[in-house]
Parts: sequence; structure tokens; C-alpha cells
Amino acid sequence: MHAITYLRNMASRKKTLLKVIILGDSSVGKTSLMNQYVNRKFTNQYKATIGADFLTKELTVDDRTVTMQIWDTAGQERFQSLGVAFYRGADCCVLVFDVTAPNTFKSLDSWRDEFLIQASPREPENFPFVLLGNKVDLEPRAISSKRAQQWCQSKNNIPYFETSAKEGLNVEQAFMAIAKNALAQQNSTVDLYNEFPDQIKLTNTQKPSGGSGCCQ
Amino acid sequence: MAHEKDFKEKLIAAVKKEVKQVMEESVTRKFVHEESGSVTSLCGAVEACLSQGLRRRALGLFKTSSTTALLHKIAKHSPEAARISKRVQELENVDNGNRRSSSSSDSLTKPQLKKHASLSSVIAPLPKYLWIRLALFEKQLAKIIDYLVSNANRYYEKDALVADPDYGTILSSLLVGPCALDYTRMRSLDNFCTDPPADELVQRHRISSAGVGGGSTPPSNRRHPMQPNFRRSLNASSEDTLSSSCCSRSSAHQLGIARDYVESLHQNSRATLLFGKNNVTVMPSNASSNVQEPMPGYLSLHQTAHGLTIKWTPNQLMNGFVDETQDKSVYWDYALHVRLDEIVYVHCHQESDTGGTVILVGQDGVQRPPIHFPKGGHMLAFLSCIETGLLPRGRLDPPLWSQRSSGGGAVGKNNNKRRRPLPALAPDTTDTNTETTRDYVFRIIDNSDHTDMPKRTELMDTRAHLGGSLKTRVQLASTSTSSDSSCKSFSIEQQHSASATADEVCSGGVGTPPVACIRAVCDSMKRQIISRAFYGWLAYCRHLSTVRTHLSGLVNANIVLSDERDEQGITEERWSEVCVDGVVSDYAEVYRLTYFGGIAHSLRKEIWPYLLGHYKFGTTQQQRNELAEETKQAYENTMSEWLAVEAIVRQRDKENQAQAHAKLSTGSAASTSVNDNTTPPPPPHSQQEHHLSNEVFEDELLSDDEHESMDEEEEACLTEAQPVKKTRRNTIKYESGDDENEDENEATVAGVTPIGKYDHDDDGEEAQRSPDNREFCCSNIEHEPVNNGESICDYDNDLVNDTVEQNQEQIFPPDDTCYTEEMKDFIHNVIVTNASVDMSNLGGDESRNVGRASGGGNLDAVTEENNSSLDTCIETHGLASPARSACASPASSNGGVYTQELLETFGLNLHRIEKDVQRCDRNYWYFTEKENLDKLRNVMCTYVWEHLDIGYMQGMCDLVAPLLVIFNEESVTYACFCHLMERMVENFPNGQQMDCHFANMRSLIQILDAEMYELMHQHGDYTHFYFCYRWFLLDFKRELVYADVNATWEVIWAAQQVASQHFVLFIALALLETYRDIILSNGMDFTDIIKFFNEMAERHDSKSVLRLARELVLQLQLLIENK
Repeated sequence: MHAITYLRNMASRKKTLLKVIILGDSSVGKTSLMNQYVNRKFTNQYKATIGADFLTKELTVDDRTVTMQIWDTAGQERFQSLGVAFYRGADCCVLVFDVTAPNTFKSLDSWRDEFLIQASPREPENFPFVLLGNKVDLEPRAISSKRAQQWCQSKNNIPYFETSAKEGLNVEQAFMAIAKNALAQQNSTVDLYNEFPDQIKLTNTQKPSGGSGCCQ
Repeated sequence: MAHEKDFKEKLIAAVKKEVKQVMEESVTRKFVHEESGSVTSLCGAVEACLSQGLRRRALGLFKTSSTTALLHKIAKHSPEAARISKRVQELENVDNGNRRSSSSSDSLTKPQLKKHASLSSVIAPLPKYLWIRLALFEKQLAKIIDYLVSNANRYYEKDALVADPDYGTILSSLLVGPCALDYTRMRSLDNFCTDPPADELVQRHRISSAGVGGGSTPPSNRRHPMQPNFRRSLNASSEDTLSSSCCSRSSAHQLGIARDYVESLHQNSRATLLFGKNNVTVMPSNASSNVQEPMPGYLSLHQTAHGLTIKWTPNQLMNGFVDETQDKSVYWDYALHVRLDEIVYVHCHQESDTGGTVILVGQDGVQRPPIHFPKGGHMLAFLSCIETGLLPRGRLDPPLWSQRSSGGGAVGKNNNKRRRPLPALAPDTTDTNTETTRDYVFRIIDNSDHTDMPKRTELMDTRAHLGGSLKTRVQLASTSTSSDSSCKSFSIEQQHSASATADEVCSGGVGTPPVACIRAVCDSMKRQIISRAFYGWLAYCRHLSTVRTHLSGLVNANIVLSDERDEQGITEERWSEVCVDGVVSDYAEVYRLTYFGGIAHSLRKEIWPYLLGHYKFGTTQQQRNELAEETKQAYENTMSEWLAVEAIVRQRDKENQAQAHAKLSTGSAASTSVNDNTTPPPPPHSQQEHHLSNEVFEDELLSDDEHESMDEEEEACLTEAQPVKKTRRNTIKYESGDDENEDENEATVAGVTPIGKYDHDDDGEEAQRSPDNREFCCSNIEHEPVNNGESICDYDNDLVNDTVEQNQEQIFPPDDTCYTEEMKDFIHNVIVTNASVDMSNLGGDESRNVGRASGGGNLDAVTEENNSSLDTCIETHGLASPARSACASPASSNGGVYTQELLETFGLNLHRIEKDVQRCDRNYWYFTEKENLDKLRNVMCTYVWEHLDIGYMQGMCDLVAPLLVIFNEESVTYACFCHLMERMVENFPNGQQMDCHFANMRSLIQILDAEMYELMHQHGDYTHFYFCYRWFLLDFKRELVYADVNATWEVIWAAQQVASQHFVLFIALALLETYRDIILSNGMDFTDIIKFFNEMAERHDSKSVLRLARELVLQLQLLIENK
């Protein structure tokens, strides 16, 4: 009985998987944020992430049930070369910095660039990023929210959230925004995939019909 | 009181949240899975509410922390509770019973699988919050809680949540909703979509593969992992058939059965289903007294490579695993599994009212339980299937089907009825003798004698696949890729002729005697088999040579074997045998024993240095003591070097911070005054750019940012403004004094310190900027500690000389125990000093000094300060100018002046190390102590100082930690870590080893586990093998608990000498193999595997994994050896 109900559900709305990558310097709280969001737990005993791990969480965005696959990565930039395998197919990239550590803010640019290079999304300028300023529960602050917002504005209006993984502050909201952005990204690319072959985007002069003709 | 209320509020809020979650889940999915995480957390929240204020003592419940006892208590009064209580007890009993039966029973008919320690220990047998769970599923939870609330005074304190008139009611009413939901255990598609946790996967696997025995298939007991692939190439057919045929008969009988029973009573790749009928009843002969009448079940006849098998499975087992609460193990005892070649006679009893009974009698004369067929000719169908299945080499005597022509009965009506069964067995009710019971006995005749057995097996195999010959041919073509195309076409041709012959036999060869037909078929098949075997063999040989060339480097050529005693490894007793008078000469024995059995924990401290190469075998105690002393001395010297640098780095950090504060307090005026102070004119733009891009580009990048937003972001700006200014000054000096510096460098190298030249130079350390200088610095550092007195003599600065020595004495008093204390004091002192700097800077009128100090002189100031006695620091630091003049001598610091680059590099590393040390295994007892964390930090910093080119990389702390725990002493740990890193450093991002590992893993899996390899090929990502990344980077340190890490590491180290330089590969393979069935049955892709293994971290059974790894090494060794 359940199976039938389930199958009906399957038919009506396809399950969506959103792949989200969390990037940022080491010990800005990537693992903590992920765990706070998925498991609603915080401990200060997380170890430095080696390699990559991910957690999944099911949530409802705009009446759609989606599974968010959140990838946690190693923070040291030397391990970035590993990223390629993990970045591929990402729907949204979460950049995290520590509001008490200016250096973590400074490296945001390089994280963003590196991601765009390695993941090579279809439309780099429109690829959704979300910026999280973590550890707002700590003093003293080194990066004001104004400054972070300015950075976001300069990068095509990236949404910015100030979070505390320790206290669970703003985490839920941030990830909801991440999910929405990821979903929007996926919808746009899926449409693109469905309707046009790849090359049309590049050469506007070529007619779509001609493009598809070539394929056959 | 308020606190109490808050707490209750929180508890209720938690329940609310979880109820909401569950309700949401039920809405979005239309049902809630029983094992859903939200159910568990809801139960947890309810449990928390119920536990709060429970009068445990009064109720006699203090023994347990759960509320299960409370349930049993109220069961007397509440019928709902009684029901749940009963079920809980049942479940608990079943669970216990299950475990007992699985370990004790060893019936042959029941697929026997060894209990797998790792898996059974991993799985909590019963879910958490069992009773709450059950009550929820039974929809009784709200009622039970209602009862508790209304009788709260009996069970709860007055201020308990349940006793609270408001909260209590809220609690019970909250749960009404969840109690109205339907919960399911169904393994729906949905479950597969939502990434089930590793636990669930392991549990599912346990259920499906061994609902029988309660354990997973132990890899060692499973089929030989290497065989399928080779066999496959040998005759290109389904590997399952072959794996069973190549195993010894009895083991083949036992293995693989579990899966047969659970999933493959149907047609599958390994067996052809010849007959299947449900509701065939059997009176189990070994049934206990509670089975009074024959049980219905599913009878099936399978044809496998090694013959026919009759299976009968009770219906209880056929209905899947929906109802897991019921103990099924007993039914497995009833299930039948009969190999037809063990059967000599088939007795048939045909009765008119019931369908018929077949009794199989074995070679030993023992009767198998009678099989009762329902009405409708099923018995006849069964017998005819047996007869068909026995062909070509075996037959029933007398034949079931008599030839019409020779039978002399009624003439057949059509061709189909040309042959008919013995009249007595015909289901034809028109037969005159229907009323009487007729018995028949058939003898199963096996024409092949036993020497002919293998051939027969192959015949059967081929025959089984003849029907789908197209498929077989495709397989052949694909598996023997190495053989050239002509071979392939030849074999296909062969097959064509074979099948043609077969067709001929079937259709046209009516008149020829059956034996002749069979012979013809056999002949053609024989040819076909021989040719196929030849090409298979050819492919196999080529495959082997590929294996040899690719993988021969992975294992040592000579095979070292173990005896039973070795499995205990190096015990105290054995060590005393090996270690004669403190000299260990028989290193081979030490390696061998370690490899096969590990080292007793108490001996690790002593033996690990040998294994890592720190101690040489054959050294005396005396020599080792000297080595230890040397090591310690060297370590301490190195440490003193970087401690000095650390102090500078810290000072700089503090100053940066302090300046920011100072600027803040003096406002924007301060910054202008500082700008006024910079006497040199602004440098040409191009120069500045060049310089900045080289040295402090981070600062500059930011400063651009800053300048743009200066007005709005003054606060942030000020933090960064300082380094920018410093850069400018440095640039000027650097550019202007370029040639001069060159000269100075040479002079310095020559050992003459050109103090005079530096005197006019504001930034003395600028001279050290070039790479050459950096080297000079380092070499100076290296020599200096060894030859302290001499090198210091080179510097004609007595004061410095004194302070250096003084300093060293202070930091490293000979006494070992108070040394750490001293060290702490030292660090502490520096920090205190910094605090005073903050104060002086914050004074407000110091902006000038701050500005000048920031000009670069501050670095020297610190260097100087570091060497002078610490208590004078405050004075020295109060003013920047004296400090600057004092450090005009570049040689004033211990081992030389440090370049800006060096300071920055080390500073960066230092911060990273600190971050990671702080979070290294804090849950392990050893690292709960600050003191031990400091040791870890020191070792790490020393290593990075000595290997600045490598630098700190995440993961290094994890490698130091186990060593430190064993040695609990820094210098030995450091020395051993250096040895360890010789191998490990190549795994880190700049090395090539990781890619090699991945490539090797790929080859090994291809050879040792074809099925897995195929799965991996399906998901292209697999080639990356990233799930192994952490394994190799840290030698499985994160995958195992500490005790297991120790055991694993020493085996890895010993394995280099005994079996394989790359033993880690085999451990990785062993891990994969341990869970291969789970991975395969769930069709896991790259991400699933990563998640699975991340979740399984620290939950593996290292003993069995290591054992398997050793077996895998041996397999590969044998394979390579076997030409």
C-alpha cells in the first residue's frame, strides 16, 4: 500500500538532489555549520577535516521536497587540488569565514575563484554563492558586517548571513537560502539541458534547428 | 524555580519540535519510516521529559537510567502499558535468544555463517528508546503518558514536568498526533533514495545475508576473492557458477547458500531454475516437537554447475523480512537443501486424494523428509524436471518417459504426446487404477564415474548456458579481450556448430537412440570446451603477466609464513627471547612477529623506534641511550631556534593588534602623524608594485580594498594600514640598498659581522631578504647549536654571547622534568611582555613610537628582547628606538637574524599548527590535558621548522598523536615522526604517492574483485578512489580507534620488511572487501561509499581487517609466484 502511494508520489514529483559545497579557510567552522544544520548538534571536538565528507538533509523548499547533499571540505588551501572531484556538479557554493579572523575573510576571493575554476559551472557569473560569517558569538569582531556585505555586493550580490554554529544562530535560515539558490540554479540548468544542446549558447548565430541537426 | 521552569520549557519545546518534524515527514512522504531519524529524536525528547523528576529511588528504578522500568511498573495498572511492556520483554528475549542460537547451532541444512565480530558489535541489537518507539508504533504512547500524567503524584516529584498540570497535559496531547500516524518498516524505494546511514546498511546486510546466523559473511570465509576473475577468464561464464565449482565441494555447499536462500530461489546467473512450486508441504524431520504437521513451503529445483539441487524453503522465510520481530532462525533449521548427486533413490507415492509424495533416499540410505505435492500433476512435473536435469550423463532408472513406439500402448494422438510417462504416474484420472495407491522407486544413475567428475561439471555448465548461447558468446568475447579476434571468431564458430548439433538432436534426432544423441552433443561440446578452455587459459596467462608486471612491485617476492604461535605477536616473553642483553639482532624475527601478531602494548614504547628506524638493530642499550641523549639535545636546540622565532611572530601579532588599538584610541590623527614620520619619499609606483607582488601581496590586496572604502570602513582600515606602510619603507630600503646588501651578505657568510654597515640601516633585517641569505640563516641555525661556543665567537658581541647562553640555559635546564614547566614560563613571559606593550601603546602619546616600531625595527627589537633576560623586556619595549639601535647587529639573535619571509612562513605555519593541535583528538584521554597538547604542538613546530619547505599540512598532527601517546616524550616522538614522514610526506598534496595508491587500488580491485571493479566502472567517478584518501594520508588513523591504530601502524611498518612495501593498499582492500556485499548490494556510487566509510570510521574490526589484508598479500604473492 505504502509502496503504491510512494510510487505515485515519485511519479508526481521527482526527487531533487542539491549538491552544496562548503568552502573556507581551516577552522572557520565548516564542519560545525554542517553538523549544526543537519544534526542540530555542536561540539568543540570536531577534528580537522581530511579529505571530504558530506551529510544529507531533506527539506521542503517551495513545496518541493529536496535532498540537500552538503559537502564539507578540508580547509587548508593545499588540499584544494582534491576539490575537482567534489566540486563537480555543485548547485551552490557556500563560502565561510570567521568574523574574528581577518585572514579568513581575505582568502574568500581565492576560494571563490578556485571554485569557479575547478567546478567550471556553465555560467560562472551567475553561479550561486552564499557567504556565511561564522562565529558571531565570539569577540572581538574583526570583520564588520558592512564590510562583508560590501564584498558580497561586489560579487554580484551574494547573499550574506552571519551565523553561529555554536549557538545555532541563523544557521537554519542560511541553509534555507542556500537550498533556494541551489534549486534555482538547478532549475535553470536543467531547463537549459533539456531544451538546447550545448553549443547554441556559445554561438548565437547558429540556429537551434541546425544544431540539433548536426547531432543526428 | 525559574531555572526549573526554563528547563521544562525547553523539554516541551524539544518534543514540540520533534513532533512537528515527524508530522511534516508524514505529510511529505505520506508515511513515516520506523527507523527514521525523526522518530528516534522524538522518542529521545519524550524520554527526556519522562526522566525529568522521576522518583527513581522511591520506585526502585535507580538501577537504570532509562524509563523502561517505569513502563513495567505501570503495566500493572494501565492495560496499554501492559501491552507494550509485554512486547518489550518479548523483543528483548528474542534478541537474547537469537544471539545464543546463532552462535551455538550448527545444523548443516542451515546456512552456517560465522559470526562477524565487527559487525555484530557495531550494531545495537535493539533500537534506542525501545518502549517509547513501540508505544508510538502501536499508537499507545499518548494513552500511556496520559496515565502517567494523571497518576503523576505516584511516580514523579512534585516539580516534575509530568506532574505539572500544564506541561503534563501538553505533553500527552502533543503525542496524540504522532500516535495517529502509520509507521512502516518497509524497505521502500524511498529509503534507497535518502542515503541510509551506514548503520542501517550494515544492519540490513546482516538481516538479508544472515537473517540466518546473525552475522555478516566473514570475508575470509567467503569465496576466494581472487578466483572469480581468473575462472571467468578461463571459461567465460557466469562467475558464480565457477566460483562454486572451483571451491571445494563442501565449502561450496556451505558458502553462497545464504544468498541462495534469501534472494536466489529464482532464476539467476548462478543457477537455472528448473522447477518451482509453492505450497509444497514437508514434515521437517529435525523439527522440534512444536511442529506437529507438515509445513507449506516453496520447492525448487536448481541446476548449477555442480549438479542439481532441490531446495525447500518454509513459507515463513519466503515472505521476506517484513516482520522482523518474529524469530525466524528456527525455520532455517527446517529448510531443505538436497544435492541430487547425494541421492540414490527417489520413492514416489501417488495418492488420489493428495497430490503425491516424494521421498529422497541418499547414498547412506537415509531418507530425506517426505515432500508432499498438492494435487494437479506437480509431482510428475517435478520428476520430469529431475530427469531432464540429470541429462546427459545421468538418468532415472526406470526412465520416467517411456518411448511410445516401444511401449506398445495406444498410438499417440500427436507429436507432442509421442512420449508419455509411465502409465502409473500419469495424472490421467481415466486410468483404471486411480483408487489404489501406487508407489514407484526410481534409481538415479550417474553414468559418469568420479574421475570424470570435473568434465561433467563443465559439460553441465556449458549445457546450462547453451540455451543462452548468444549471451555466453558475448561474454566470451568480452572477457578474452587479450586474445586476438581470430580466436574469438573461431570459438564462436565452434559454438555455432555445437548449438546446431544440439538443435539437431532435439528436433530431428528422434529416431536415433538417445545415448547416441547425447554422445554427439557431448563430443561437440567437448571440442568447444577445449577450445574455450584454451583461449581462456591464454587470456589467463596474459592477464597474469599483466598482473605480474603491474603489481609485482607491490609485494615482496619471498613469502614469509607464520605459525600459530606468531599470531600472538611480540609478547613480553617473546621479546625477552629476542632481546638478548639489550641487543636485538634478529630483526627479521621482530618484523615477522610484528607483522603477524603485533606488539604487546607495554612493549611498543621500546620496539616502535626499531620499526621506524630510529634505533638500529644490534645496538646496545648504551648506544641507544647515547642516541636518545643526542636526539634530545638536537631536539632541544632546534626547539630553542623556533621558540625564538615564535616569540617574534607572537610579538608581531600582538603589535599589529596593539597598533590597531592605539590607532583607534588616537583617532585618524594618529595615522597622519605616522605618515608624516615616514621620511623617505614615496617610491616609484612600479617599484612598489613589483615589490608588493613578491612579498606582501596579501596585505596589498587588502589595502587596495581598504583605500577604496577608507571613509566608511575606518575601523577595519586601521588594522591593515600598518603593514602597508611598513611595506613601503621596506621597499625603499630594499631597492636602494641592493648592491650594498649583496656585499654584506658575502661578508656575513665569511663570518665577519659588518656591524658598521648595518648601523646606518634602519631595517637591519632587510639585508637578509634574498634567498641566499635565507640559506645562510638556516645554515647558521643548523651549525650553531652543535657548536655553540665556536659560532658565537664569530660574533664579536660579548653581550649577545652572554645572553644567548643565558637564554638557552633558562629554556633548557638539564633537568628534564621541570623543562616543560620552564618552557611554559617562557612562553608565558613573552605573552606578559606583550601585554605591557599593549599598555604602553595604549597610553595615547606613543603614536610616534608605534609608527617607528612598525617600520620594521620592531622585529629586531623582539629578537633582541628574546635574547636579553626576559624581565627586562618591558623596559626594552617601552621605547622603540633603543631596541632598534641594539639590534643593529644582525647576528645578535640566536643563530642569526630572520628574514621577513622566514618569519611570515613560520608564522603562518604556527597559526595553522595551533588551530589543528587544539582540535586533535580532544576526545581521547591523552589530549584532554593541556600539557600533552603542548607536547604535540612542540613536536609539530619542530618538524615544520626543520622542514619549512614542506610546511605544516593538515593531517600531520594526526600522525604525530599516536606516536606521542606511546612515547609520551617529545624528542623520541619527533625523531620517529621524522622517520614516519619519510614515507608519508609523499602522500600529502605535493607528493605523487596518493595518485599511485589510487592507481594501484584500481589494479588490485580489478584483479582481486571483479564484481566490485565492475560496479566501480559503472560510476566513472570511482577511478578517483577518493574514499581512500584519508585512509592513505593518515595510515588509517582516523578510521580506527587508538588501540587499533597502534596495532595497524606497527603491522604496516613491519610489513615493509616482511611482505609488502605498500601494505596500506591491502588494508584498504581488506576494508573494501569487508563491506563488499553491502557496497555491491546497495549499488553504492562514489559518494555513497565516501559517506559509508566516513560513518563507519572508528568502528571497524581491525583484527579481522588486518588478517584479511595479510591474506590478500599472500594471495597476490602466490599469484605472482605461480608462473
